[in-house]
Amino acid sequence: MKSVLAKSVVVSLGIVMLGALQPASALEPPKGKVVLTISGKIGQKNTANAATFDMAMIEKLPQQTFTTMTPWDKKPIEFTGPLLRDVLGAAKAQGSVIKAAALNDYQTTIPVEDAQKFDVVVAHKMNGANIPIKTKGPLFIVYPFDKKSELRSTVYYERSAWQLKSMVIE
Amino acid sequence: MTGRSTNQRYLLWLALGTATMAIAMAALLAFELAQKRTIEQSSSLRSDSLTALVFQFEREFLRFRQALDKEVTGSVPIDAQNLTLRYDLFLSRVALLRESPGLSVLDSRPEYQELMPRLEDLVRRSDAAMGASVLDRGALALLLDQYNALGASVQAVSHAADSEVARLLERQSTTMLDQNDLIVALTLAQLLLLLGASAALALRHRRQEKERLALEKLTEDLLEARIQAEAANRGKSQFLANMSHELRTPFNGMMGMLGLLEATPISAEQADYIKTAQRSAHHLLTLLNDILDVSALEAGKITLKPHPVDFRCLLMDVEALMQPHATAKGLEFSLVHMQPSDASARWVMADETRLKQILFNLVNNAIKFTERGEVKVTIAQSRESEQSVRLAIAVRDTGIGMDAQGMAQLFQRFYQVDGSATRRFGGTGLGLEISQSLANMMGGAITVTSALGVGSEFTLSVPLAACEPPPAPAMAAVPMPVAPPAVTLTEAVQPQGVANAPKVLVVEDHPINQKLVGVLLQRMGCAVAFCENGQLALDRVAQERFDLILMDVSMPVMDGLTATRAIRAMDGPVAATPIVVLTADVMNEAVQTARDAGANDFLGKPVAVDQLRAVVAKHVER
Repeated sequence: MKSVLAKSVVVSLGIVMLGALQPASALEPPKGKVVLTISGKIGQKNTANAATFDMAMIEKLPQQTFTTMTPWDKKPIEFTGPLLRDVLGAAKAQGSVIKAAALNDYQTTIPVEDAQKFDVVVAHKMNGANIPIKTKGPLFIVYPFDKKSELRSTVYYERSAWQLKSMVIE
Repeated sequence: MTGRSTNQRYLLWLALGTATMAIAMAALLAFELAQKRTIEQSSSLRSDSLTALVFQFEREFLRFRQALDKEVTGSVPIDAQNLTLRYDLFLSRVALLRESPGLSVLDSRPEYQELMPRLEDLVRRSDAAMGASVLDRGALALLLDQYNALGASVQAVSHAADSEVARLLERQSTTMLDQNDLIVALTLAQLLLLLGASAALALRHRRQEKERLALEKLTEDLLEARIQAEAANRGKSQFLANMSHELRTPFNGMMGMLGLLEATPISAEQADYIKTAQRSAHHLLTLLNDILDVSALEAGKITLKPHPVDFRCLLMDVEALMQPHATAKGLEFSLVHMQPSDASARWVMADETRLKQILFNLVNNAIKFTERGEVKVTIAQSRESEQSVRLAIAVRDTGIGMDAQGMAQLFQRFYQVDGSATRRFGGTGLGLEISQSLANMMGGAITVTSALGVGSEFTLSVPLAACEPPPAPAMAAVPMPVAPPAVTLTEAVQPQGVANAPKVLVVEDHPINQKLVGVLLQRMGCAVAFCENGQLALDRVAQERFDLILMDVSMPVMDGLTATRAIRAMDGPVAATPIVVLTADVMNEAVQTARDAGANDFLGKPVAVDQLRAVVAKHVER
């Protein structure tokens, strides 16, 4: 009990110190073309209503790379990009549901829980190259389908929005 | 058909049934697995539905065409950014149409085959037009015409996709139905098999039940048979007892008469004849007693009555009685007491009569089967505890002996060493069986070692309780009805007609017995009256007072026990008249029955003179 308390004190201290070390955790306004807009219940904004990201900001977040088969291609593809939870973290998202919208007006609803449970990636690279719109870019929400069989279902295929444009947190 | 082969066939059928069932189930399982795999496969293939993909493609095609149309017909400057976005989105849909695994089913459709080369061609032209640094309205207008021209083909693919999906669904449902039919058939087969199995089981159960009932009936029959056999055996024993009883009555008379005859004035020659007749009669009595003993033992009617016995006296009796027999046959006879000192118990609790009976039998046999040499009796006592001793009496002879087979049959009924021996040595062949039974009743046994032509040794081993000597008068002879000594009427004739002579009523139907008992009583100085049955006796005692009534049991009209009960039930002092029951039925329970009827005492037939005197003395006040 005592040690747990001590540990949690240390952890909290650590967090406070991290905050102190990075006072610039506040989201900077994008310098390039905006590729992703997060609005709704978020704690971090860099415009009047939303947290907006250019590609450089996306690339600055910790990156993940994995290879998986998708239902939309005949070959496995290597995806690279930040974890969805890190992207949500950057905007300090507080809701439980993400309403993701794509350039082609596709809309899908993703529970925030998914971002915690699975290593969902907001990919900006396929096989090491940037993704143009005509090959489902520039951003592509991808679940690690090959890692867990439960992900290989219509539910998660539908949640994998490509040509991602915006997310509204509710 | 034997039960074993039936059982084997049943097991075979059971195994066959089980195997069939297992195979059917395995087939079902395989089908289910196949179905599961099909469903999984189709679900992964249908991750994005065929129609949705084609529809989205058509949509982006139309939206780009519309945007193109707007720019071509419009007068405002071209919105290059929007047009490029629409074109890129359209291209992404073209790529999917080209690459998506979900669309592979369309590959074989003519509509698709017709569209794709034209589409690729159009994309090449569009890339060229859209790739220009400045979009040229004229080029775009030309492009629009080509898009319009392709419209029909695009829609045709849409329709093709629709019909493919419909066909796929149809095929799937057909497959499912087929599989379903198979499952139904298999399930039906299982059901039939199960019903068959239950029917077979029911049949088997019924058959077993039938067998069980038959077995039960057999058991009942056997039980019944056993009861009948036992009843028959009891009947036989009863017959033997009755016969010996019936034999005793005339025998009693014969012995008595011989005794009376002996007391008359006769010549020496006549006296010798009478002695011989008496010896023969005595032998006959011994045989009779043997038969009676065996039937009584078999009917469980003999009980031991242990009382304090002077063991040394008992041995002296045996010696005294047996010594002359041996000597007469020219044999040496010795009786050796291993522990003659005080160490051995002198007084033991034993049924003296039965113990003597065993010893007499063993020694008699030894003398009987030995032609020359000796008969030696060795007695050994060993203390088992403070209260009990084990007595081992070995009777060894130098007689004919026996082989192993002979010893094995030794204690069986009617057995004698061999047929010729039966002729030569006589006897009932019951002696050893009786002795062994009695020894067993005492908790002991008789064992034997023997060698043919060398001799035999019979050893009686019994545990006996040591006891204190009883007070002297208690040793007065208790009447022992079984094996009474032969009647010897050597009494001096008592003066008759003495005044105040005790009046004795003899109730007896047999004239010889009447006469015998009458003579004995008269010699004892009694006035004797006779009645032939119980009823007459009742009439007589109602008129006249008697000092003693001797009552036979088996009589016509009214038996002795009924008469005894009737006298006891009478009014006045007559009811207290002493009654002594006289009977040849010498079984143990006969004594108790007589006492229960109200008799004061009991005398076994043939009547021994001293016992009769003792009873008269006991019950008649002079």
